[in-house]
Amino acid sequence: MVTVSELNVPHMPQWCPGCGDFGILISLKGAIAKLGLNPHEVVVVSGIGCSGKLPHYIKTYGYEGIHGRALPAATGIHLANHKLTTIVVGGDGDGYGIGMGHFIHTMRRNFDMTYIVHDNEIYGLTTGQTSPTTKKGVKTKSTPFGSIDTEVNPPLLALAAGATFVARGFSGDIPHLTELIAKGIAHRGIAFIDVFQPCVTYRKDLPYELYQKKIYKLEAEGHNPSDWEAALKKARETDRWPIGVFYQEQKPIYTDEIPFISESPLAKHDISKIDISKFVEEFF
Amino acid sequence: MAVINRVNFKIGGPAGSGVATVGLLFAKCLQRAGLNVFGTNDYPSLIKGGHNTYMVAASPEPVYSIVDGFDILIALDQLTASLHSHELTHKGALIYDSDKVKGGWPTDRPDIMCIGAPLTQMAAQAGGEIMFNTVALGASMGIMQLDFQILEGMMRKIWARKGEAVVQANIAAAKAGYDFSKEALREPFKVKIEFVKREKTMFINGNEASVLGAVRAGCKFVAEYPMSPSSAILHLMAGHEREYGIIVKQTEDEIAAANMIAGAAFAGVRAMTATSGGGFSLMVEALGNMGIAEIPCVIFESQRAGPSTGLPTYTEQADLQFVLHASQGEFPRVVIAPGDPQECYIEAINAFNIAELVQTPVIVLLDKFLSESSMTIEDVRRIPVQIDRGKLLSDEQMAAASGFKRYAITEDGISPRCLPGQRNGIHVCSSYEHDETGFTSEAPDVRVAMINKRARKLAAIPQPIIAPSFAGASEEEAQILLVCWGSTKMPMLEALKLLGRSGIKARMMHIRYASPFPARAVLSALMKAKNTLIFEGNSEAQMRSLILQKTGYYIEKTCLRYDGRPFTPEEICEAAKKAIERKMI
Ligand SMILES: Cc1ncc(C[n+]2csc(CCOP(=O)(O)OP(=O)(O)O)c2C)c(N)n1
Ligand code: SF4
Ligand SMILES: [Mg+2]
Repeated sequence: MVTVSELNVPHMPQWCPGCGDFGILISLKGAIAKLGLNPHEVVVVSGIGCSGKLPHYIKTYGYEGIHGRALPAATGIHLANHKLTTIVVGGDGDGYGIGMGHFIHTMRRNFDMTYIVHDNEIYGLTTGQTSPTTKKGVKTKSTPFGSIDTEVNPPLLALAAGATFVARGFSGDIPHLTELIAKGIAHRGIAFIDVFQPCVTYRKDLPYELYQKKIYKLEAEGHNPSDWEAALKKARETDRWPIGVFYQEQKPIYTDEIPFISESPLAKHDISKIDISKFVEEFF
Repeated sequence: MAVINRVNFKIGGPAGSGVATVGLLFAKCLQRAGLNVFGTNDYPSLIKGGHNTYMVAASPEPVYSIVDGFDILIALDQLTASLHSHELTHKGALIYDSDKVKGGWPTDRPDIMCIGAPLTQMAAQAGGEIMFNTVALGASMGIMQLDFQILEGMMRKIWARKGEAVVQANIAAAKAGYDFSKEALREPFKVKIEFVKREKTMFINGNEASVLGAVRAGCKFVAEYPMSPSSAILHLMAGHEREYGIIVKQTEDEIAAANMIAGAAFAGVRAMTATSGGGFSLMVEALGNMGIAEIPCVIFESQRAGPSTGLPTYTEQADLQFVLHASQGEFPRVVIAPGDPQECYIEAINAFNIAELVQTPVIVLLDKFLSESSMTIEDVRRIPVQIDRGKLLSDEQMAAASGFKRYAITEDGISPRCLPGQRNGIHVCSSYEHDETGFTSEAPDVRVAMINKRARKLAAIPQPIIAPSFAGASEEEAQILLVCWGSTKMPMLEALKLLGRSGIKARMMHIRYASPFPARAVLSALMKAKNTLIFEGNSEAQMRSLILQKTGYYIEKTCLRYDGRPFTPEEICEAAKKAIERKMI
């Protein structure tokens, strides 16, 4: 059992004051405490970006890999030791740009992991270029005349790919996000949470107030999260921005189908004396 | 007088006609007869059609390559008969499908025995046209008077999974061919196979031996994206996934594969991937991640002729400098180039032990020739194996730990390692430069300390493991030192036999470890040699550059082959002779 303060590290996060990443960090710590997880049995995995620094700011095991590759790295960690709680965090560029291939494939594999995307609709760490979620027409450093690309729709993609838990949160609503992350971690299967994360430095045109004005809670309007078609519709809404759980379903998870890890995770298997006799005989 | 137990064999036909299967079965029959066998293939990047061949050499002594011509040629199509009949030795036998091949072999070779058999018809009678290649196999065994029981035993083992009906049909097909060819001979064939009693041997190729070594070493996680000539590693691993408790994952690309094994290794399992140069190109960024974050991973890279798609099913040794330098920045890496299937087994085990010993990526450099060439080796279970996980701490040690620092600066540069899930070890495994705790640091002194720490690690690898190997004449009597690395060892060993027969005293130096490089041993051998010549399967003499860089010694004479084919023993022999002559002039 752990309290939120026990998850604190001795140094301050190096994010801009007011950055939405703080809200996600606080919510993640809250969710871990709420679920009563042991910090040494949690691994927080990230790629590179402002968001990617998060593993350094929480007292659990961490893995900060390379840009866009957090999901495959997390997959390796999860398959090596599926008894750990594996939580992946990253930016919209990390997950939907350079890492888009891994995103789709991870969503269809139903690993028991949680993927939280700090979706600020911009490349923060590289000082403000367009991202895959930057809306068409938005001016950034790399699109001074307005982005020509149509933006991607992450919840819609996750639904189409077969994800079994698809949600969206807002870093400005910490109690709601804490609840959402806790639900995602508790979900048995892949849990995907796209989080509206204001970047106060490079997306001044997307301030907290705008999010507050536009968002509404799915649960408050009676959305049924077991209805996939309804989830698709909600994910496509653009005039108002829904947060909460779009979709959740129970399905066997990936590791259920690997018989030899049902007793103990792979990392605990004894490798000191492997008998290859039967294998050798194949070559006689 | 017949030659006993020494034969060279070739089979050719279009892709999809079972050329490799018959070749392999031919080899395995002779292996079971107690001979030493070598088998290799040649095929274009096609699924149907084209021209495929499989070649086998068998002998009472160890064989490492094909030398001289072929005593038996099976032509499953016209093209094979036309292309390869001239490679037959005096009184060699051409066995062909009389329904498909209507002549076309050299008329100036009245000495060869032509055995035209209605293979397809005979197969149909035995139970199915598809077995025409089994009939051909039976025919080749018939002329050599191999005990039919050996062939029958082979058929039973190979087809057992398909049920008794398939076994019986194949035995009948083989028997039909066997009896036919015995009848068809005008005079006894020049080669006769007599059973030799000996301990069971293995007939295994480089890919298979690498997998076997990896399994023995306790590899528990394989992530791979298919690419010739490494895909067989994925298939073989996947086939043994449940038996040995190994998670085998075909990934969306090689980037995912490399990052997955890094994650798995961080979480505590021995993990590997396999690929060829193209896939390795995609893994390069992850390789650097393994380097800076000190993650022990093993990557098998089976070279094919590049760059880009190149000659996908042909061999080359041109990725040496690439794998040595791939990635931005500097970090220690291990690069091992085994020379034959037995070394693949041994070095696969070394690779996993070394990866954990020095906590850095290990690349095992194979090539298409080594990956897909098979030879008989002793039962590998006789090779002593130790599993050494280096400075990995146990749960008990971690339970008692306090103030654990994952990247502690130590004398040998290697830090004690713990795994997620263990108490008191919380840290971040980071691709950023970091301090001893793993926390990001860009401080100049930390940076220098960390670069130096990592650079010290390779010295922990025992010198005897990385030492080059030698064969042939002694250092004192050798007229020439022939230098090679990787799979060139195989034709080189055959070349040493040829040179010995022509009275030349040659010595081979085979370099297995490109990093860490055995500089002292290599330099000493080069300095003592009267004459030196290096053989490489690339156009730039990449190992020569490495030797120059590491020892200051420049090997003047090179013999380079980069047409996609492996060296032949004959050309090595010729090059050595020329180099000796040049020295004498
Ligand atoms: C292979 C590679 N290409 C480019 C970069 C540079 N880079 C670092 S972070 C980043 C994008 C960051 O945007 P995002 O993922 O949205 O994260 P944020 O900073 O917004 O949280 C880029 C392009 C890199 N580190 N690696
Ligand atoms: S640049 Fe934007 S995303 Fe990055 S820390 Fe600053 S506010 Fe946050
Ligand atoms: Mg971003």
